[in-house]
Amino acid sequence: MRVKAVRIVWRITRLNFRAQLEYRTEFLLMIAIGAIWQVSVIVFATVLLTRFAGMGGWDSSDVLLIPATRMLAHGLMVLFLGRMHGIGRYIQEGRIDIYLVRPMPVHRQAQLEYFPTNAIGDLTVAAGLMVGALSRSHLDWTAGRTAYLIAALLGGMLLEAALFTAVASASLRFPSADYWSRWLEDLLGTFGSYPLNVLPRAVGGFLTYALPLAFVAYLPAAVLTGHGHDTGVPYWLAAGSPLVGVLAYLGARLLWRWSLGHYTGVNG
Amino acid sequence: MAAPHAWRAARVTPLGELLAPPRITAALLRLSVQVVLVASLWRGLYSHTGATAGLTRDQAVTYAVLAVLASRLRELDQHAGRDTVLQHMHFGTIIYWYLRPLPPQRYYALRAFGEQMYGLAWALTGYAVCLAAGVVEPPKSPAVAGVFALSMLLGQLVLYYVMLLIDQLCFWTLRNGAAMLILIFAQNLLSGVYAPLWFFPDWFITMSRFLPFQATLSVPLSIYVGRVPLSDAGAQLALQALWVVALSLFTRFLWRRAARRVVAQGG
Repeated sequence: MRVKAVRIVWRITRLNFRAQLEYRTEFLLMIAIGAIWQVSVIVFATVLLTRFAGMGGWDSSDVLLIPATRMLAHGLMVLFLGRMHGIGRYIQEGRIDIYLVRPMPVHRQAQLEYFPTNAIGDLTVAAGLMVGALSRSHLDWTAGRTAYLIAALLGGMLLEAALFTAVASASLRFPSADYWSRWLEDLLGTFGSYPLNVLPRAVGGFLTYALPLAFVAYLPAAVLTGHGHDTGVPYWLAAGSPLVGVLAYLGARLLWRWSLGHYTGVNG
Repeated sequence: MAAPHAWRAARVTPLGELLAPPRITAALLRLSVQVVLVASLWRGLYSHTGATAGLTRDQAVTYAVLAVLASRLRELDQHAGRDTVLQHMHFGTIIYWYLRPLPPQRYYALRAFGEQMYGLAWALTGYAVCLAAGVVEPPKSPAVAGVFALSMLLGQLVLYYVMLLIDQLCFWTLRNGAAMLILIFAQNLLSGVYAPLWFFPDWFITMSRFLPFQATLSVPLSIYVGRVPLSDAGAQLALQALWVVALSLFTRFLWRRAARRVVAQGG
């Protein structure tokens, strides 16, 4: 993006934020929702950890790193790239046609549709959980390990954004395909938060290769905590999770561009 | 009201679903994958643990899978049909609910009935498949099955009234998006969709006794898997019935108050 484009994005974001502040109660409620939604993941994880003896050979401090990583990656995705989720509604309402005639890429306009207030709540809880997970961790947080964790967070963010972008691309052809993105969010929230090796191998394989949510948090956390060789995935692939995120996102953006080229609105 | 008219109102949303093939495919895939994943998860968790919180492995798997199937009952997307109270309030079309020769509360109830019946068809099909595949256990006796069916019916009524309450909120706040999201969350957490309530700490179980959410799902499913014995089921059913009566009276009162507030296009 050129400097001028960045300046426009920044100005629109500021305006969007002020627009959200116009409705104070709704603004605070949206922050609360982001927070509450993530607390449910913590509750679920806590119940599992307290009721069952370990999970897949991981001790509880290691397990906590998985929901913390997933949640932080998710919060960043909602903040920076989240508006692909729910774009089916814009397509159904024909708003996407307006984007097409403006001198700004459609994807960028969709991202600037509104300010994601709930991301504030998401990120607050996620940061809290990450601090908790790191303080309980027995690992030695060297510069290399910390750098890998940051790369994993960014990779997780891009991978999640890639999945939602792929669904959004399908929505350009079938607006009701938007329904899948809700399911995707459920799946990521539920099954992205604990070691997938508690599941049968075929199911774990499905969540790794068919719907690659294992790369968001489970595999990077396995590499960090020394479980990288017990995941059933080649070690080099598990270690390359952040790169998988980058490649998936680039692929999803190409798919989006191609789908947009084949988009026909209600007017043909 | 003539039955054909009622039928026409009730079938609107299901018809919308049937006309959108990706939605049907998505629902089928989503339900199948969710059942497999949930069953695998609880089996995996129990692999190194015996009974915990009074639930054996098979009871926990049955509970969790039935919770997934039951969640289909309220899955329908009215938003696509542009017929949510929120949308009507936003566009001012709520006024048409008050101009038709059909009271808005009856129209609302018929729509919800149609949706829940459509969801029931999904849930029952899923249940039959899971039972045949041995994923869920059958009920221990015909008496348990009967009490469970009654409890489930009461649970669905409670759920209907809770959803109605959130929709009625729109008449006062104009927007209920945030409240609806909070409700869905509370419903999932406190009804035992995320995990059976029995696994939660005691204070959490006590707190949820004072809220209507556990009456929607946790009670019927606990009766089904035998975690609540038939001897204790009477009290639970009475509590569910009490919620139905209380919420029914309250929502009826709100419908009357809401009618006085409806303003479209500046009055």
